[in-house]
Amino acid sequence: MRFLDEFINYVSSVDAAKLFRMFWFFFIFEFFRFFLVEISTIIFWKFDSIFRKKGIADARLTLMKSQPLVSIIVPGRNEGKHIFKLVNSLKEQTYQNFELIVIDDGSDDDTPIICRNLEHLGMISAFYRNDVRGGKASAANLGLRYARGEFVIHFDADCSYDRDAIENILVPFYYNPKIGAVGGNVQVRNYKDSLCATLQALEYMDTISIGRITTSELGIYRVISGAFGAFRKEALDRLGGWDIGPGLDGDITVKIRKLGYIIHFEPTAVCQTSVPVTFKKLIRQRLRWDKSLIRFRLRKHRDVFYPNDSFKFSNFISFVENVTYNLILNVKWFFYLADMVFNFASQLIFIIPMNICLYTVNNFMKFLVFSPFRDRKNEGITYFLIYLPLMVFYFGYFLRIVRTTAYIQEIFFKASYKDNWNPAKSSRQAKIMKI
Amino acid sequence: MSLKVVPQAIEIRNNKIEFDNLLFFIVDSNSSVKIEPLIGYDAIIIDSKDAEFAKLILKKIRGHYNPEFYLKPVFLINYKESKDPILHSLNDGFIHSYDQLKEIADVAKQIFLKTTQLDYQLVATFEAQMMKKVLNFMFTRDLKTLKPIPDLNSVIGYTYPAISVNFDSSEETQVLEILEWGEREGLVWPDFHERIYLCNQCSGGFLSYREVCPHCNSSNSSAQDLVHHFPCAYIGPLSDFQNNVDNALTCPKCNKALRHIGVDYDKPSIIHHCNNCDKNFQDFFVKAKCISCTQDVEVQYLIPKAINVYKLTKRGRTAASNGFLSTGKEVEDIFGTLTMAVFKTMLHYEIERIKENPEQQKSSIVIVNIENIFELYKKVGKKAEKTILESIVNLIRENVRPTDFIAFENSSTMYLGLINSDALQSEATLENLKTLIEKLIKNNFNDFSANINFKVKLLQPFNKSEFQLQELTKDLFD
Ligand SMILES: [Zn+2]
Ligand SMILES: [Zn+2]
Ligand SMILES: [Zn+2]
Repeated sequence: MRFLDEFINYVSSVDAAKLFRMFWFFFIFEFFRFFLVEISTIIFWKFDSIFRKKGIADARLTLMKSQPLVSIIVPGRNEGKHIFKLVNSLKEQTYQNFELIVIDDGSDDDTPIICRNLEHLGMISAFYRNDVRGGKASAANLGLRYARGEFVIHFDADCSYDRDAIENILVPFYYNPKIGAVGGNVQVRNYKDSLCATLQALEYMDTISIGRITTSELGIYRVISGAFGAFRKEALDRLGGWDIGPGLDGDITVKIRKLGYIIHFEPTAVCQTSVPVTFKKLIRQRLRWDKSLIRFRLRKHRDVFYPNDSFKFSNFISFVENVTYNLILNVKWFFYLADMVFNFASQLIFIIPMNICLYTVNNFMKFLVFSPFRDRKNEGITYFLIYLPLMVFYFGYFLRIVRTTAYIQEIFFKASYKDNWNPAKSSRQAKIMKI
Repeated sequence: MSLKVVPQAIEIRNNKIEFDNLLFFIVDSNSSVKIEPLIGYDAIIIDSKDAEFAKLILKKIRGHYNPEFYLKPVFLINYKESKDPILHSLNDGFIHSYDQLKEIADVAKQIFLKTTQLDYQLVATFEAQMMKKVLNFMFTRDLKTLKPIPDLNSVIGYTYPAISVNFDSSEETQVLEILEWGEREGLVWPDFHERIYLCNQCSGGFLSYREVCPHCNSSNSSAQDLVHHFPCAYIGPLSDFQNNVDNALTCPKCNKALRHIGVDYDKPSIIHHCNNCDKNFQDFFVKAKCISCTQDVEVQYLIPKAINVYKLTKRGRTAASNGFLSTGKEVEDIFGTLTMAVFKTMLHYEIERIKENPEQQKSSIVIVNIENIFELYKKVGKKAEKTILESIVNLIRENVRPTDFIAFENSSTMYLGLINSDALQSEATLENLKTLIEKLIKNNFNDFSANINFKVKLLQPFNKSEFQLQELTKDLFD
C-alpha cells in the first residue's frame, strides 16, 4: 500500500516534458508508428472503402463471370494427415474453378499413400512427389511448373479456409490489374489451446490483420504469408517461382514488387492456422522467421537501397520501414534500456510499473479502437480483454529478446544456412551465391 | 530307284497291314475322320504328311474317354519335326518307311503288356477320372513327368499334352485344376517351373501389360526425369533444360549451366505426360489387357497360377495298376443321400427284415450310372458337379417313397434301395426316373443328352448285401 501511494505521488509529479524524456522510445517510435499511423490509415481506409464499394462489386462480378482457372498448390512434407480435411473443406468454397495440386517434398510417412489414393479418387487434381527432399521452394516450384491456372494460390496443408476465401482473395486482381499478388488474412484457430496461443492470436489480430491493412494501404506490405497467398501466374513465371528459403514468402513478395506489381492485403480472405502452443516451439519458429529478415532484406535484396534500374521508392520505403522497425529499433531499445538504467536508476522502481501501465493502456485503447474495423472476430472481444495486460511482456520483452537473438545469430554466424529447413545440398549452394 | 520299297512280307491292303500278329491300320488324308471304326485294330499308323489332319485324328484318339481308344498305340509316318505339342508328345513313335514296322510292333507289344496290368476300377469324380486316364497313359508309356510345354494355342500359354488333349485349348485352366487336385491327392509332386497370371474374367493368359494414365487409362504417354536446380530451386522436366543446338543443360530460371549431378542439381523423380488427356502424373497404373476377352484388368486382380513340372509320386506310379481310392468327399455330403457305408448297413437291416416273410415282403436294389456325365462336367466346369448331382437327387426324392434310400458310389454312379417294391414296380419307377433325369439335364445343359443305364435286382433274403451289390454292378457294366 505504501508503494502504491508513493507510485501515485510519483506519477502525478511527472509533467509532459519529463514523461516524454522517460518514455521517448515509446512516443517517438511505437506510439507514432503503431498507433497514430495505423489509426489514421485505418480510418482513411474505412472512409475510402465507401468509394471502392462499387469497383469491388464490379470486380467480383467480372471474376465470377469469367471463371478463370485457379491452381491451388499445397507444398509440404509429411502433411498427408491434413490433406483429406483440406480437400473436403475445399468442396465448400464459393469459387470452384480450381485445380488442387499437392506436392510432397520427400515425406517419410504415409503421405504418398494417402495422396495417391485421393488422386485416384479424383479429389486431388495432381499429386507430385519428390522422393528426394528438395526444400519447400522446390516443392512449390514443382507445383507451379505444372499449374495450368491463370492464378496460383499457395496453401498450407494444415490451414483451413473460410468458404468465400478463394473468391475474396481473387477479387482484388479484377479490381486493380496492377495487383500482382494478394495476401490473405491469417488468423489463429487454436487460440484457446494455451496462453502462448492466445497471445499469438492477439498478435496476429494486431500485426497481421490491422498491421497489414496499414502497410498494404501505404504500399509497403512486406510478406504475403505462405499460408494463404494468391499470385498472377504470369508474375511467378517471370520470376521462375520461389527461391530457396527460409523467408521465401517475404522474398517472393519483394521480387513481385520489383517487377512493378502492387502487393495487396485482403482482410476478407480469411484463413485459419494453428500456431505453436508452447513457448519453446514458438521461439524456434520465430528465430527462423527473424533470421530471414537479415538474410533477405540486408543480403539478398540490398539492391533496393541502391538507386538502380529496379529502384522504386515504395520498395525503398518498405525496406527502410521494415529494417527500422525490426532491426534498428531492436538495437535502439537496448539504448533506451541503458538510458533508463544510467540516468533514472533511482526511479526505475516507479518507471517500470509506469512503463507497463502505459503500454497496457495503449494496448487496450488500440484493441478497442480497432475492434470495429476487424472484419471478423474470433470471439467476443471479452475473451481477449483479460489477456491484454500480458501483451506488454509478450511484445515488449519476449519477442524482442527472441528477435535480438535471431539477429545476432544471423549477422554474426549466418545461422540460417545451417537450418534443417533446407536440405544441405540447397543450403550449400545458397551460401556460395551469397543469398 | 525312287519307288517306295516294301519288303515282300509286308502287304498293304485297304490301308491294313498285318505284321507280327498285329493288325495295323494306316490313316491317311483320304481316310474318314471318324475314329470309331478303328477299335478293331491293334495299332494305328497316321500318315502325317498333312500335319493338321494327323493332329486331328491323334487328338480324337487320345481325347477319347474309352481306354480302347486312348491307350491305343499310335505311330506316325512321314512325320516332320513339329512344334505342335499333341503331335509331338502323344505319338508312340514314328517311322520313315514300312521297313521299320518291326520296331513299332515291339513298342506296341510293350504297351499291350502294360495295358493288361491296368486297373479299371471306377473312380469317384471327374478329376479322379481324368487323372486316372492320364496315369493309365503314363503307365503304359513309362512316362515319369508331366512337363508344361509353351503353346501359343493354349489360352494360358502352356499345355500339358497328356491332359490337355481332353480339353479345348480354351479350357486349359481346367487342366491346371485337375493337376492341382492330383497334387492334393498325392499322385503328382509339383516342381515349380514358372508363374503365370490369368485374366480374372476369362482365365486367359495372353495379357498385354501397359503403364496407363490414371486419369483416362490411355497408354499413350511419355516419361521424363524431373530436374531440380539447387541454387535457384527451379524444378521441371528435363526438356525445360535442353536446347535444340547442343547437349548442354541450362536452367531456364537462372540461365546457369548444370554442371554435376548431386552437386548443383539432381533428378528427384520421374514425371509422365499423357498424350491423350494432357494430364501429368507420376503414379501410373499397370493394367493388363486380356487378348482373349479384351478386358483391361488392374494387375492386382489377376489370378496368379504356378506352372509346375509334375512328377509322379510313388502313389501316382502305383495308382494306374492298383487303382486308387480318392477321398470321394465331393459326393458324400449331398443332401438326401447316405454314404456307401450307411447304405450297406441299411441294406443289411432290410435283408433281416424281409427274411421274416420272404414271400410277402419284397424290396429292390438299383444301380444307376450316367455314362457320359464326365463329358458334362467337362463342359460346365467342376464347380457345377455338386449342383448337378443335388438336382438329380432332388428329382429322385420327389419320385420315390420317403423310406427309400440313395447313396453315391461316385459322381457318375449311385445306388438306390427301394423298400416294398418288387422288381416290376422298381423297373417302372426307374424307367420313369430315367426319362425325368434325361429331361432335366437336357433342359439345363444346352441339349446335352445323358446316357443313363440302370439295373434293378430284387433283394435276396439269404445273400450278403455286399455280394448283392457286386452282382448288381457287374450286371450293369457287363
Ligand atoms: Zn537455376
Ligand atoms: Zn490420360
Ligand atoms: Zn480375359
